[in-house]
Amino acid sequence: MMYNKILFVDDDPITLMLCKKVIERAEFSKEIVTANNGEDAIKYFDNLKSKINSDDTLTLPELMFLDLNMPVMGGWEFLDIFSKENYHMVFPNLKVIVLSSTIDPKDIEKSKSYSMVIDFLSKPITKEILKSIIKT
Amino acid sequence: MKNKFYNIIIAYFIISLLLALTSHCYIVNNVASEDYSLYYFSLLLFFVLISPIFIIYILNLNNKKNKDSLESLEKTNDELYKSNERYDIVAKATSDTIWDWDIKTGGFIWNKGIQGVFGYKKEEIGTDLQWWFEKIHPEDSLKMSVKLYSFIEQKTEKWQDYYRFMCADGSYRYVFDRGFLVMDENRNVIRMIGAIQDITKQKEEEQRLKLLETVITQTKDSVIITESTDVENEMPKIVFVNPAFTKMTGYKPKEVIGKSALVFMNKFSVRKEIKKLAEALKKKEEFIFEALNKRKNKEEYWANISMIPITNKENHHSHWISIQRDISVEKERETEREHLISELTQNNKDLKQFSYITSHNLRAPLSNLTGLLNLVEDIPIENEELNEIIKGFSKSTAQLNETINDLVNVIIIKDSPSIQKEDIVIRDVFENVFNQLSFLISLKKPIIKMDLHETQVINLNKAYIESILLNLMTNSLRYLEPKRQLKIWISSKKTATETQLTFKDNGIGIDLVRNGDKIFGLYQRFHDYPDSKGLGLYLVKSQVESMGGKINVESQVGVGTTFTITFKNN
Repeated sequence: MMYNKILFVDDDPITLMLCKKVIERAEFSKEIVTANNGEDAIKYFDNLKSKINSDDTLTLPELMFLDLNMPVMGGWEFLDIFSKENYHMVFPNLKVIVLSSTIDPKDIEKSKSYSMVIDFLSKPITKEILKSIIKT
Repeated sequence: MKNKFYNIIIAYFIISLLLALTSHCYIVNNVASEDYSLYYFSLLLFFVLISPIFIIYILNLNNKKNKDSLESLEKTNDELYKSNERYDIVAKATSDTIWDWDIKTGGFIWNKGIQGVFGYKKEEIGTDLQWWFEKIHPEDSLKMSVKLYSFIEQKTEKWQDYYRFMCADGSYRYVFDRGFLVMDENRNVIRMIGAIQDITKQKEEEQRLKLLETVITQTKDSVIITESTDVENEMPKIVFVNPAFTKMTGYKPKEVIGKSALVFMNKFSVRKEIKKLAEALKKKEEFIFEALNKRKNKEEYWANISMIPITNKENHHSHWISIQRDISVEKERETEREHLISELTQNNKDLKQFSYITSHNLRAPLSNLTGLLNLVEDIPIENEELNEIIKGFSKSTAQLNETINDLVNVIIIKDSPSIQKEDIVIRDVFENVFNQLSFLISLKKPIIKMDLHETQVINLNKAYIESILLNLMTNSLRYLEPKRQLKIWISSKKTATETQLTFKDNGIGIDLVRNGDKIFGLYQRFHDYPDSKGLGLYLVKSQVESMGGKINVESQVGVGTTFTITFKNN
């Protein structure tokens, strides 16, 4: 197992199911947490924040796959809040991979401006892609 | 003079006769006959003595008279000569052609001007009135002769007229002719003397000016002449406007002459230019600008105004000429055009956004489909039919994926005007391409001949050239002629200015007569092959062109196809 806990944020249940299966089969992570949009993800991190000092057994997510186009709160908005409200101070080890179907080169450029974003991947996620992430 | 001499001689004769008779009577009556001879002798002696004295006296008198008259003659002659000389000098100095018409005899004499000015040879010059009249332009001669004869009739002192006079070469010159009459003491006209002045140049200049004036009065552009001013920040005053100005602005000349040109200029509209305008006015430089002007009826119009400084003979700046053209229509069109452009730009932007969204929305479920099929591949399926169906799924999904990826590539190419280039080893690119096509190559077993010795490295975008060669190679492998061994020739050529890549096969070829104009078009398929998408060559062309290159095709059905890609050397 590469990771102890990863967070998957996507509004599409099929994508979530698919990714879960790929990750499971590739034995990429012990635990997979999912969120349906940016707001859900923020709530998840808020919840973690409230427990972080009291619960010693808490496992923090190390990697997060983030979709861009989502209802309620999209990927960009999530990244803005996450970096502006200093979440990354609380979760300094969290790395983000943007996973999207977009082809707009501007999106790729934009993702580079967030320090916690380590990669920009095109859907679908495959075993081969997961392997390449392990390598890096 | 002669009469006087005759009188003296007659007096002498009578006196001599009387004296002779009285003496004779006296001698006959009073003198004795023996004394006759003495008396006659004395008388004779007396006559002999008195006659020579008288003759000498007469001769002397005559001599004196002759001398006087000779002197006076000489003097007259001298004066005449001097006068003639003066006449010649004047004639020469004025460069006028002088004529002298003896009205009594009809003789007509010309001075040298007729040769110098009009080019006649001495022998060509006529000596009568007729010759003069013949040389006058037919359109002028009647009017001129009527005027001349009525002048002679009325015996006015001076005469003048304008007419055209023919030169030796047949051309006409405009002349101004002035003459006066010479009359005897009884006021009988005896001569007329005239001087012809060549005014062709003035006349031509006059006509030229008239023509120029017509331009100003007839043109549709409004012309305004303003005085130059040296007072800072003072607009020049108007001294002239043409009819077009009145038509354009509604202002009559008397309403604007003497006023500043700002009367009809919207100050607001020239605000941007006012600094430059002031500068140009100060420097006396030509200046062209656009301004929103006002007509008398307060209606506004856009004008293109060019102000040109005019200098006088002393090279001092004296006036400005401003030419105004009403460009309201053009301006309106320009605004419309700008509006249209911004609309189109927005449309384009929207379409681009739309294509990104569409591609995203297509790719999202498709990527799920691909991912799910990938998962299925790992699950063993017992049911043969289901297996078949899933294979069909996989193939269709792969095709859809390929198509969408191509479309996505097209969108990206069209959206990025400049791309990054790097030095690429062509052989490496081909190796990549062959690797990607290894399955097809192993299936079709082509003979590939590569000659890249002329150009090994080329400055291009790596992803694009790889995609181009992949597309061309795939086409060759797909559209081979099944009856013969597939051969592919790849070569490069380099000239001083260009690098050429040639890609040739012996496949089924394309009917260029039917499809020549749309071969690189979007969604064009030239063969009935199930996996052809009609996108490849469009993508190839887009990629070649986005790198500043050109692509050319030569093909013959049943023989093969050659693609030539040309790039300018950096």
